[in-house]
Amino acid sequence: MKKQLVHIKGTKEGLVLRLDDCCAYADLIEELESRVSEGGIDNKVDVQLDLGYRFLTKEQKKDLVQVVEQSGKMHVSNVYSEVISVEESNELILASKRDTFFGIVRSGQIVKATGDIVIIGDVNPNGRVEAGGSIYVLGKLKGQVHAGIEGNQESIIAASHFEPTHVAIADKMDVMSNEKPFVSQHLDQIFAFIDHNGVITYDRLQEARNLRPTLNIVQGGS
Amino acid sequence: MGEAIVITSGKGGVGKTTTTANLGTALALQGKKVCLVDTDIGLRNLDVVLGLENRIIYDLVDVIEGRCKIHQAIVRDKRVDEKLFLLPAAQTTDKNAVNPKQMKSLIDELKREYDYVLIDCPAGIEQGYRNAVAGADRAIVVTTPEISAVRDADRIIGLLEQEEIEPPRLIINRVRKKLMNNGDTLDVNDITTHLSIDLLGIIVEADEVISSSNKGEPIVMDPNNKASLGYRNIARRILGESVPLMSLDDDQKGVFAKIKSLFSR
Repeated sequence: MKKQLVHIKGTKEGLVLRLDDCCAYADLIEELESRVSEGGIDNKVDVQLDLGYRFLTKEQKKDLVQVVEQSGKMHVSNVYSEVISVEESNELILASKRDTFFGIVRSGQIVKATGDIVIIGDVNPNGRVEAGGSIYVLGKLKGQVHAGIEGNQESIIAASHFEPTHVAIADKMDVMSNEKPFVSQHLDQIFAFIDHNGVITYDRLQEARNLRPTLNIVQGGS
Repeated sequence: MGEAIVITSGKGGVGKTTTTANLGTALALQGKKVCLVDTDIGLRNLDVVLGLENRIIYDLVDVIEGRCKIHQAIVRDKRVDEKLFLLPAAQTTDKNAVNPKQMKSLIDELKREYDYVLIDCPAGIEQGYRNAVAGADRAIVVTTPEISAVRDADRIIGLLEQEEIEPPRLIINRVRKKLMNNGDTLDVNDITTHLSIDLLGIIVEADEVISSSNKGEPIVMDPNNKASLGYRNIARRILGESVPLMSLDDDQKGVFAKIKSLFSR
């Protein structure tokens, strides 16, 4: 008997279609088409695709999803693969980098980082810091900052003296006018983040640990 | 081998030209051989402030384009005996007549003959600024206690830090004691912590600075003026002396205040 290329498994999260990662891509598509049109399912269900060690481009993934969803009975919630391309891997490395800038970011200067950045010095008015991750300023922050410039909503902006003119995180932006009572009352040691309503919010630096537990990397301290 | 110092500010009207004229004169009075170079091609003023306008024959662009020798273009100031000289800018062309490379070789040539070459920089951060900075060994940034001037100074310091010169030093010009003591303008401390560069000195505002400029006579010639003292102090600091900063306490108390202070003791 021919080896089965598509395994359907039931898990807690729903159905998982495990696709063989050694056969030809065309064979896989063919078998997948016949399996999903077999029927036997009454309601529309969420399924996940597990590609194993097969690498697929974005277009190929889209095609697979289309094949599964064309029966009208299944909705693909996630496509999971054990492998990523070198390019994607490099992007991940860049995004997890931590840079340090010593000195003052002066008017008209732009400091850019792919991941997190620590500024040891001030950010003066009209100076600008852009980072793929979070921005931490050890001096006075009086300029413009944009954290999570590639869309990372989890990133934060923290400063020992927090008095910026513009604050942006991912695709959200805040112009710091006098209408921000929390900021004008606290100035020192606060940070900005996007809260669960999708709005930029400010809080004391001490709260950052609770609000963004994933940013904490170092264990211990007990 | 002398030293070339560029005097710059970013913003216009803060007193670059006045500062250049007065510092140059003060250094010359201290016995140094000084050449002032006006790089504000097209909008030259330094000659007017020094009162040397009608003695110009050739100018900086003539030298660079080879129409005359350097010593033919340089104007000597007769008031300071054989010590103070001016290389005027051209008035008929614009900043693009010169490039930074030409400027650098010109300044290098002047440095061989003079103890100090003071370069008066035009306002702005374009071609004229790049020309002025090209030959300099050090920079002095002039600002006033106004937020707009401080912002522009911050920008220019950022640009100067990209150049291969010593860290710039700061002069705060046109300080009005009363306004500053009342907190109506930025105070000296605010400005130096914001810009975080060394303070070279402060110049208090004096009406005589304007009237002496109009007469074509630098204020440092008058030994009793407060602003003049500020410039003389800065010149001494440039020469390496340590001179304490001028006090900003209000010394002109009224009669009643004097009596009151007698009783409050």
